[in-house]
Formats: sequence, structure tokens, C-alpha cells
Amino acid sequence: MKALAAKSGVWAGYLAVLLLLPLIFDSILAISIFNQMAIAIVFALSYNMLLGQGGMLSFGHAVYFGLGGFLAVHALLMMENEAVYFSIAFIPLIGGLTGLLAGVFVGSFSTRKAGTVFAMISLGIGELVAASSLIFTGFFGGEAGVSGDRTFGPPLFGMDFFSDVDVYYLAAFWVFVSTVFMYLFTRTPAGRMANAVRDNPERAEFIGYSARWVRFISFCASGMFAGIAGGLFALNYEFLTDENLNLVTSGRVLLMAYIGGLGFFIGPIIGAIILTLMNFLLSNYTELWLLYLGIMFVLTVLFLPRGFAGFIMMHRLAWLRGRLHTLALPYLLTGLPALLFVLCAVCLLELSHAAEPDLHFLGLSLARDSVTVWAALLLLATLGWYLTRKSVPGLRRAWEAANAPDAEAAREQAT
Amino acid sequence: MSILSMQDLRKNFGATEIIRGVDLDIETGEKHAIIGPNGAGKSTLFHLISGKYAPTAGSIRFKNQPIENLSPYQINRLGVARSFQVTNIFPRLSVFENIRCALLWTSGYGYSFRHLLDRQRALNENAGEVLEKIGLAGKAQIPAGEIAYSEQRALELGMAIAGGAELILLDEPVAGMSHSEADNAVRLIRKVTEGKTLVMVEHDMNIVFDLADRISVLVYGEVIACGAPAEIRANAQVQEAYLGEAQAHA
Repeated sequence: MKALAAKSGVWAGYLAVLLLLPLIFDSILAISIFNQMAIAIVFALSYNMLLGQGGMLSFGHAVYFGLGGFLAVHALLMMENEAVYFSIAFIPLIGGLTGLLAGVFVGSFSTRKAGTVFAMISLGIGELVAASSLIFTGFFGGEAGVSGDRTFGPPLFGMDFFSDVDVYYLAAFWVFVSTVFMYLFTRTPAGRMANAVRDNPERAEFIGYSARWVRFISFCASGMFAGIAGGLFALNYEFLTDENLNLVTSGRVLLMAYIGGLGFFIGPIIGAIILTLMNFLLSNYTELWLLYLGIMFVLTVLFLPRGFAGFIMMHRLAWLRGRLHTLALPYLLTGLPALLFVLCAVCLLELSHAAEPDLHFLGLSLARDSVTVWAALLLLATLGWYLTRKSVPGLRRAWEAANAPDAEAAREQAT
Repeated sequence: MSILSMQDLRKNFGATEIIRGVDLDIETGEKHAIIGPNGAGKSTLFHLISGKYAPTAGSIRFKNQPIENLSPYQINRLGVARSFQVTNIFPRLSVFENIRCALLWTSGYGYSFRHLLDRQRALNENAGEVLEKIGLAGKAQIPAGEIAYSEQRALELGMAIAGGAELILLDEPVAGMSHSEADNAVRLIRKVTEGKTLVMVEHDMNIVFDLADRISVLVYGEVIACGAPAEIRANAQVQEAYLGEAQAHA
């Protein structure tokens, strides 16, 4: 009962955040970031149905997103030509249906095996559809893409969808509904068996389940939600190109899910938020942001294999034992020099890339051609690196003490 | 009446003949042990019965229905469940989830995405009962990959019997256990397979003679003897081929 109340609380909080966000941050830029986040959240969650829940590594998930989006834009065009007339609130459903059908078709042969075979097929399909999008220009519009107009439908609750805020509330609705259904899916027999097949497909066969059929169901559901995300994209941007279903988009959703944390339902949501924010904030300041994204991904894979969600959940035990606060100082002692190192490294990268003789960074004006600046940065970076390395054993000890069973911790303190 | 019947069963891997014409009938309700030296083909025979491998030739009938060309999941749905020599569980799922998954198909849920598992009272109670039976009720929420080896073996057994299969195949259920663990495991096997047909592969002769009603001796892919424990013990051919050697090692 208590657990149920806690769970309802989490969902109510999620809904409240979705509804209140545009009231707190009401600038045009903020709304446009939120819209992009909403799309990314649904897309990343749908990807995690494959990789995190079902153990299927896909390099072509943008296919379902993009096809859903293209169909949605065509629906908008039909409305513009007065061939159909319905509320655009249903546009994401068109995307979802498209994603589902594409999933049924591709899944019928790609889910036979997981692992490398599945990954290679997904890559092939991704490449094939991306290439087709440039060949079949009647439907995909070639390099120019296809654009529509979302304002031809009937108004809904007084919203005419001229402004991004109207789109936000529509997107928030679909994000909430999609999140709820994707979460509930993980609690059903089909969803649980997806985990079982991920862990051990052979064993699943010996308790009466066809691993292939289990994968197929997850695959279709995942395609459907990716299509819904594509439909939201079409509503938000009113414009789709081949880039929305090519490998770059497929790669980005993989990064989102992975950086957020595959093993946790909330992981892809965190990943989608972080990457969307990074995209907006960093890409305005630096041309190197994709490089930073790549570095961040590599570091996540190496040091936080369970992603940001996993990093947060790592602290559960220390928190339950009431010793989370003992980690604050050690984290600071490692984190500050690490931050110094990162800032210096970023500065050096930016300097080596700078087109102008002066680089403005954190309120400083650094001369690109000055040997002193380079030397100082290198020195500081080395210092930061050295101090970080030196503080790691202390952090490790603090970590072990914070997580140790009570008796051991007491002994540790006595000595 | 025999529940499982194999006729002239053969399995080749390339040019190598592993199973070379096995004829074997398993009677309904009996506890049947298959023994034999290493490499005799015992595990392969299990893989053939449970559908992991398709036989090269011959027939397998379960309750008079041919099963030699069915997939593992189809054979399982007919009422054949098995455990594995190497622990074969869902390591990242909790102990409870492992058992619940093993119950899903026979409880009629199929591939449903309309039922919420936590709301299925009868299913969850059944899973709890199986956990009680195998003595893992206290570890229900721990990931199955993190419990002790002998506990994983018990879980493996629990998953095999959970679905209520009539024929249970156990592949070396006490391999790698200490004496006291093995004794517990035998007690457990006896308890959970009561009223069911059991076929087991086992190396430990004490356990085989203790548990089995009948024993088949498999040597180089052929059954050289089949009978009650006393007959097998007295069989000169068996002693020569297998028991003498095993006792010399023991």
C-alpha cells in the first residue's frame, strides 16, 4: 500500500513537472528546448525497450522515428489540402501506427536472433531506409525534405497550435501517456519475458516461451513509440528530412539511452534531458560540442557503465545506512581538481580550434598565440590531473566505509 | 505405460556419432537415472529429448506424440521441463521473478501485455509456494546471479518444476556440491518431484542408487543395460564399462 502510494506520488510529480515547466520557464527558447526534450524522452524510452529491456542493440532505431514523422507530415499536408479534417492531437497516433507497421515488417525477420546478427540487420535497414529517402523523392522530398503546417486542423480546448506552447501541452500529454504505457509494459508478462530473454534466451525457451516471439513483441512496441516520437517531431518542427531517419539520429538515441542508464526505467529520460540541454547550451557556444559529447560517451562507457541513473542509484546503500553525507567532502576533494583539469583541457581544445586571436572563456580573455597561456593551462591541467589521481584512494576508502555493514563501519571508526 | 519412448535414436555431429541407436522407454511415474562415463552422450540425449538438438535419425514420443522435430518451447508446453548441468537462470532478475517467469506459460498468460504481473494474486501465490518449497523464500528479492551456487541449483530445480510439467529432466542436479549440500538437494528433489516422472543424469553413484527406481547405462552412445539398481550393480558388463572404473576413482 505504501509502495503504491509512493509510486502514485512519483507519477503525480512527473505530471506536475510536465504541466508546470512552461509556466516557470516561459521564454520562447525554453519552450522550444522543452519540446525537443519531450520528443527525445519518448524516443529514448522506446529505444530502451529494445536495448535495456530486451537486450537488442539497434543501430537503426531512427527508421521508425523518421517514418512515423514523414507519415505525420503527410497527414498535415493532406489536412492542408482539405483531404481530411481532424484534430492534430491525433497526429502522433499516425506516427505510432506507422512505426508499429514498420516494426512488424522489419521485426518479422530481424528478431530471429539477438546479438551481432540483430545489430547488423538494424544497421543494414537503417542504411537502406536512409538511402531510400534520397531516392524516393516523391514521398521523402529528397534533400529538401517535406514540410507541413500544423495550423489547419480544428482548434482543441481553445488551442490553435500557432505557438510552441500549445504544441508543448500536446507533447506533454503524449509524453505522459507514452511513459505510463511503456512503464506498464515492463510489468506485463510480455515485458518481463523480454528481460528474461535478454538475460538468457535459451532458458526462456525451456519454460515455454519462443525467444523470437518475445523479441518481436518488444520490437513492435518499441517501433510504435518511436513513431509517436516522430509524430511529435513532425508537429513541433513541421518539417522532416532524410536526417531524421539516418544513422546520425539512430546513433544519438543510443547515446541518450546509454548515457542515461539502460538498466533503469528512468535512465533514458535523464539521458534525453542531458543531451538535449547539452545540444542547446553547448552548440551555441562552441563548434566542438560533438567532440565533447563523444568524450562524454566514452567516459560514461568506461567509468559509469550503468549511466547517470546507475550513478545515482549507486548511492542508495550509503543513503539507507545514513552515511551519504560522509561522501560529500571526499567527492569535493576529487571533484574540484577534476573540474580544474576538465576546464583546462576544454580551454586547450578551444584554443587549438580558435579562429580569432583571442578566446573568451569563463570571463577570461586568452591570447591564442601566447606561449605563456598555453604553458599555464598545461601546468594547471597537470596539477588538476595529479590532485585528482591523488585523491582517488581517499574517495575509495570513504566509499567503502559508507557502504560497509554497520559493525565494520564502527570498527573502522575505532581504529 | 511409458510416458517417453525413444526408438533407434541417433545424433551425429559431422562424422562423429554421439548417440548411436538408443531405445529407451521411461515409465510414467518412475525415477529413472541415466549413468555412464564422461563423453557417453548423456547430456546430448537430454538435449535431444528437450528439443535443443534435433536428432539425426530415430523417434522420440512423449505421451504417444512425436516430439523429435519440435522446438524447446513447444516441447515444454506439452509438459516436459528440464534443468541444466551448468546453472542456467535469469541472472539479473530476482529469485522471485525467475520462478514467476517459469510459471507464466502454464498459468495461461502467454505473451500478454494486458495483465499487470503484480496484480495476479494466484500467480504470485504460486510463485511464493514454489519458493517456500525450494527454501528460497528468504531470498526472493535478490538478483538470481548473486545468490550462492547451491541456492542457484535449487532455483534451477524450482524453475524446472514450477510449471507443473509431468516429465522432469534433471542434468547433474548435484554437480559441484559438497556432501551435505548434495544430501539436501536429494531430499529436495525427492520432495518436489513427488508424483512426477523424473529422468536424471548423475555422476554420484550414491545418489543414483538412492533415488532411482530404474537405471540405464549409456556407453558410447548406446544403452548397454537397463534395470533396477540391484540388477545394474550385479551386471558384469556394467561393472567393467563403468562402475569398476568409477569406484576405483572414488
